[in-house]
Amino acid sequence: MKPPAIAQALIAAAAPSRDYEIVAGDLHEEYLRIAHLRGATAANRWYWAQTLLSIPSLLSYARSNRSVLQRVCVALIAFGVLVALLGVLTVIEVIAQAIFGRASESACWVWLCINYTDAIVFGAILARLVRTDGLRVTFFAALFLVLCFVVPAVAGNPSSQAPLAAWIQLFGAIPAMCTGAAISQIVGRRTGNIS
Amino acid sequence: MAKGEYLGEFEHIVLLTVLRLGDGAYGAMIRAEIEHVTGRSAAIGAVHATLERLERKRLVASWIGEPTAERGGKAKRHFKIEADGISALKNARKTLERLNAGVSLRNVLA
Repeated sequence: MKPPAIAQALIAAAAPSRDYEIVAGDLHEEYLRIAHLRGATAANRWYWAQTLLSIPSLLSYARSNRSVLQRVCVALIAFGVLVALLGVLTVIEVIAQAIFGRASESACWVWLCINYTDAIVFGAILARLVRTDGLRVTFFAALFLVLCFVVPAVAGNPSSQAPLAAWIQLFGAIPAMCTGAAISQIVGRRTGNIS
Repeated sequence: MAKGEYLGEFEHIVLLTVLRLGDGAYGAMIRAEIEHVTGRSAAIGAVHATLERLERKRLVASWIGEPTAERGGKAKRHFKIEADGISALKNARKTLERLNAGVSLRNVLA
């Protein structure tokens, strides 16, 4: 019985080469124990959960042990994940725009949900990248983004939406980002990724 | 004590677990013990990252064991607590005892 190959490859990509064998061995040992007790499906699910929860720690762990090439690869992977996430959110926005239309009043809640989902995801990613004081850093980053970039854009184009709704949506992004950051911190603490 | 010298919550848990398990504890064993004792599901990557941090602070020491079949032919890294690790745990316990002294939770929770 073997653990899922893709999950193994992810561990190999994320773990420092020096310690890959140790981490993979620990996972393999527990995988076999769970497979024996609860079956292959439960063991595969456990292996995938461990892999996904371990990646942030493994990427940040023993940075000094990585070669320059490995550091560049890790940075590219992290950047790729961020771009992919933003790409998915953009596609959702485009599809929603095609279905509901921008000007429709009834679509207001849909836009609000999409934008707040963006903000929550962005806050969660930012907090996880920062690790220390993630919630505070995310709050000030959200405040900075809203005040420096979004407020001037909306103020300069007041006809794009009902002004009150636009302002509510704008400042709602700050608690939404902080919510994402808080969720990320709670999950990180529960799994030991953040001490 | 400087900020960097304090044990983080998870560092504290991992260090205590290494002490509980005795010399020769290793990643999977430590992870399982944390889950068993605290009910907290820890990621193996987080356990190894924390052990590496503790080793850099010289609170634990490690050595590589022999590869075994039940690990897919992969080796283990064994850990043992160092004298500085014991001191760090004693300091953490004393700090908590000082903070707890004279504090009653009964009135707060009522």
